Amino acid sequence: MPDDPAHAGHTYDRIAAHFSETREYPWPEIESFLDGRSGAVGLDLGCGNGRHAEVLAAHADRVVAVDASTGLLAEAAERAAEHGFETDLVAGDAAAIPLGAGTVDLAVYVATLHHLRPRARRIGSLNELARVLAPGGRALVSAWSTVHDRFADEGTDGSGLDTEVDWTLPGGETVGRFYHVYDPAEFEADLKASELALLEWELSSGNCYAVVGPSE
Amino acid sequence: MKESLMEIVCCPMDKHDLELDADERDDGEIISGTLTCTDCGESYPIEDGIPNLLPPDMRDGA
Repeated sequence: MPDDPAHAGHTYDRIAAHFSETREYPWPEIESFLDGRSGAVGLDLGCGNGRHAEVLAAHADRVVAVDASTGLLAEAAERAAEHGFETDLVAGDAAAIPLGAGTVDLAVYVATLHHLRPRARRIGSLNELARVLAPGGRALVSAWSTVHDRFADEGTDGSGLDTEVDWTLPGGETVGRFYHVYDPAEFEADLKASELALLEWELSSGNCYAVVGPSE
Repeated sequence: MKESLMEIVCCPMDKHDLELDADERDDGEIISGTLTCTDCGESYPIEDGIPNLLPPDMRDGA
């Protein structure tokens, strides 16, 4: 596997259609974060097939949906047309967000951070999120955690683990995806090391979730 | 993409403003064209209505 920053985006281009079919419903944690929140501009960073952009569209006047995979963006465009919601699709890197400073009021950054490597790039991505959030803006960040059942037997020294998780296409071909699986304490430490203000965090269904704001 | 998105997007590399050069429009949307950074001069394509603002080394075929 090449150590290539484009890897996750290109990997998802190969599995986009099948992956999207299996990602129909939004996660309840995202719906509860958005409950009672609203803003002018929403951002779905690592939008995949747009299932969370769709939920976000009910809470923001405009939703910008960013993903590194143009294949997944095509899936999101199809979903938006079929389900009748508006979103501005943009191909972009979560570690080099192509949005101006302070432009975003409400963001979700779900199940994407764990595809970035190395750690400096993950922290850089969190700093980018801090940059684009408007004063008073809020974001939900989630990442896969070592507390997930899948990793119950894996030892971790508190620094999480780097692994490759295969995606099996209908024809049987497997495509490996890089994951950095977060130790919960490490997730908290990375957020604190970033320019984001960490407001609250929790573990739910094997994932770490944090509510964050821009640095004050 | 909608032209109003220009108020939000910027160059992913140096965060400067982008200049729009639309080749094809349909019903108020820009279907194809180019976004060029007003500072570093890097250009980014708009294809099938979606601006590709990935860093140049992450684009398809890069």
